[in-house]
Amino acid sequence: MSSCTRSLTAASSRLPSLPHQLSRCHRRTYAVQSGGAPRFQVFNRRSKWLQKERAAANPELSRETDYLKDEVAVRLTERLLDIKRHFPKVLDVGANSCNIARALVQPNPDPDPSKPDSPPISTRITELVAAESSEALLYRDAKLDFNNQLNITRHVLEDEETLPYEPESFDLVMSNLSMHWINDLPGTLTQINNILKPDCPFIGAMLGGDTLFELRTSLQLAEQERRGGMSPRVSPLADVRDVGGLLQKAGFKMLTVDVDDIIVDYPDTFTLMQDLQAMGESNVILGREMGPISRDLLLANEAIYRELHGNEDGSLPATFRIIYMIGWHESPDQAKPLPRGSGDLNLKDILEQK
Amino acid sequence: MNPAKTRPIQKFAAATSKCSVEAAAYGKCIVADYNAVHKDKCAKEFMRLKDCYLLASKK
Repeated sequence: MSSCTRSLTAASSRLPSLPHQLSRCHRRTYAVQSGGAPRFQVFNRRSKWLQKERAAANPELSRETDYLKDEVAVRLTERLLDIKRHFPKVLDVGANSCNIARALVQPNPDPDPSKPDSPPISTRITELVAAESSEALLYRDAKLDFNNQLNITRHVLEDEETLPYEPESFDLVMSNLSMHWINDLPGTLTQINNILKPDCPFIGAMLGGDTLFELRTSLQLAEQERRGGMSPRVSPLADVRDVGGLLQKAGFKMLTVDVDDIIVDYPDTFTLMQDLQAMGESNVILGREMGPISRDLLLANEAIYRELHGNEDGSLPATFRIIYMIGWHESPDQAKPLPRGSGDLNLKDILEQK
Repeated sequence: MNPAKTRPIQKFAAATSKCSVEAAAYGKCIVADYNAVHKDKCAKEFMRLKDCYLLASKK
């Protein structure tokens, strides 16, 4: 009663002629649809597109700096070995330079040398659709040999945040190191879930958590000391805990989330920053400081990075934390958890028997 | 981008690499108490580093 009174005080003050009882709790107000969760804009997607186009304009340098994306693509596609299935139609969202396609055509040597090599995963895929907004990056390797080893269709997207595909049209959706630039991650994951057929998986990898924490901290210290303040230089990234929640919110079932740290050693911070630029992974936070970073700051950053994080041998480590996620589109024939309290075996008895 | 031309950042990196002693002094000054860094906390060390860099970049 008390909460009802409180919420209606504004209305009743405007309607003094109504009977006392009615004005309190028996009046109904119109139901208004709330605007939904606010859509946060963090990144400038157009700047990101420009950076990718520029990076791809120099194919040699762009290929040289593909080491991270290629490595993660291999680790990501390895997860497909566990799914004994044929995939008629596969989508690669945010394909970059088709790193996943390149990883799919590689042979898979069995850890046990006595067993024969399993054929490349691409033999289990009828059609791969590689979707990416940057045309130059997507078509960078279109003439290379791996294109002939699988049926690949390249599709230039307007924006990775709006997927123009029919619901339930794909047997597998993959994404390799591009989702960390998406503004509306919950929305995009929901769309991915929608375009998957029932009982089909989404397997993705994105940068998250402590990625580039060395650069983040040393730039913060340098800027604090040189200029007396900080500006956003390294992206805010999703954490492992967030990713589980995001997948669940998007309606995926049977989730698997795991983390992998890849540490790359660089000779100096300038090489690190040049490589990030050539990867098309420079800063695009809205509200970042425009224009080049000042030389004073670069000089200070180099000294602090080396002192705070540098290796014994004089190289500088940079951490890339990769979050792998697997979620399945719901299907009635999937295994489901039993209802709570339905177990009739006491785990304690089993554990005490040994 | 012409690959034959050295980018300004590469010249900058080369000049900076000659000042490792000054850079270490500046770095140590910051890291010694990095929870309480304020503007110009290590201005003296930084100016030494910058002078060294300017000298190195002229050569």
